[in-house]
Amino acid sequence: MSIEGYIIYGIAGSLLLVSFAKDKDKTLAGLKKGMTSFVKLMPVLLPLFLFVGILLAVVTPAFISSLLGEESGMIGLIFGLSIGSITFMPPFVAFPLGKELLESGAAYPQVAGFLVTVMSVGIVYYAAERRYFSRKSAIFRNLVSFIGALLVIAVVMVVYS
Amino acid sequence: MKKFVSNNKFLMISIILLIVLSVIDINYTYRSIENTRQQIVSMLIIVPPIFVLIGLFDAWVPRQTMIVMMGKESGIKGMAIAFVLGAFSAGPTIAAFPLAMVMLKKGARYANVIFFIMVWSSLKLPIVFYQFSQLGFQFAMVINLTMLLVFITAALFAEKLYTTEQLDAFEEKAAQHS
Repeated sequence: MSIEGYIIYGIAGSLLLVSFAKDKDKTLAGLKKGMTSFVKLMPVLLPLFLFVGILLAVVTPAFISSLLGEESGMIGLIFGLSIGSITFMPPFVAFPLGKELLESGAAYPQVAGFLVTVMSVGIVYYAAERRYFSRKSAIFRNLVSFIGALLVIAVVMVVYS
Repeated sequence: MKKFVSNNKFLMISIILLIVLSVIDINYTYRSIENTRQQIVSMLIIVPPIFVLIGLFDAWVPRQTMIVMMGKESGIKGMAIAFVLGAFSAGPTIAAFPLAMVMLKKGARYANVIFFIMVWSSLKLPIVFYQFSQLGFQFAMVINLTMLLVFITAALFAEKLYTTEQLDAFEEKAAQHS
């Protein structure tokens, strides 16, 4: 488990103890609510994990490298943005991949576009957000992040030109 | 049957994809299942304390406090709190949604809640530090500062997209979700 994993377990554990000491019933009610929202999230999440698992079996890091590689230009930008928007990757997979891409000669804008969209745009998020907020809100937030990715590309092009 | 299919689009698409992949090369199927298993395991490791925190948050933060801190009249303070809550977080963005529901239910403003989600998705501190180590300080900062400006702008304009009724509907829907 990562450092932030330990930290969050530590925080949750200590707050839970404090809460128990202060008010047992309130704590139990809180835990029950947390449990309920966890259980409610599962039916949304599990099919998405299956879907992303399949995507990542086909869209492997090697595959992404081949598309975003050196002098991939405009096509590389489009691939970076679209792969990033469709797939979902844990950060500890996405950022080392970004580093590797840069080291193997991929250009900064392509990698930036991929990394920003992979973090904040995604069908995985969209499907969950639509249920929790609304369709409009889900489209809005994903679109904002996508526009953000385009702006990041523009800024990176200026900074690294 | 029809309702089941339309409610479980991802499941249906996934099953069809798995069948197609099995025909092409069974190794894809194995890898898909292994990927899925890994994701579920890593989620089950990190997510339980987050839901403990969500539960405690729900139990201990009174509605009145939430309205003062992040409600309609909270102004720049509300955005700042949304930023801090999003930045000092860990875990997948998907875990931010149930917490967002608790905020909305207790009277937090939509603009602040959506800003919180945006910050959680891209600018949470564990990720930012990890970015520094992987991508270098400059590249990571160019990305993060640009995104922060985009998110602030988006949060300021977010509520213009909705009617008052639609904004109230978020709170009602949130009450059902948490």
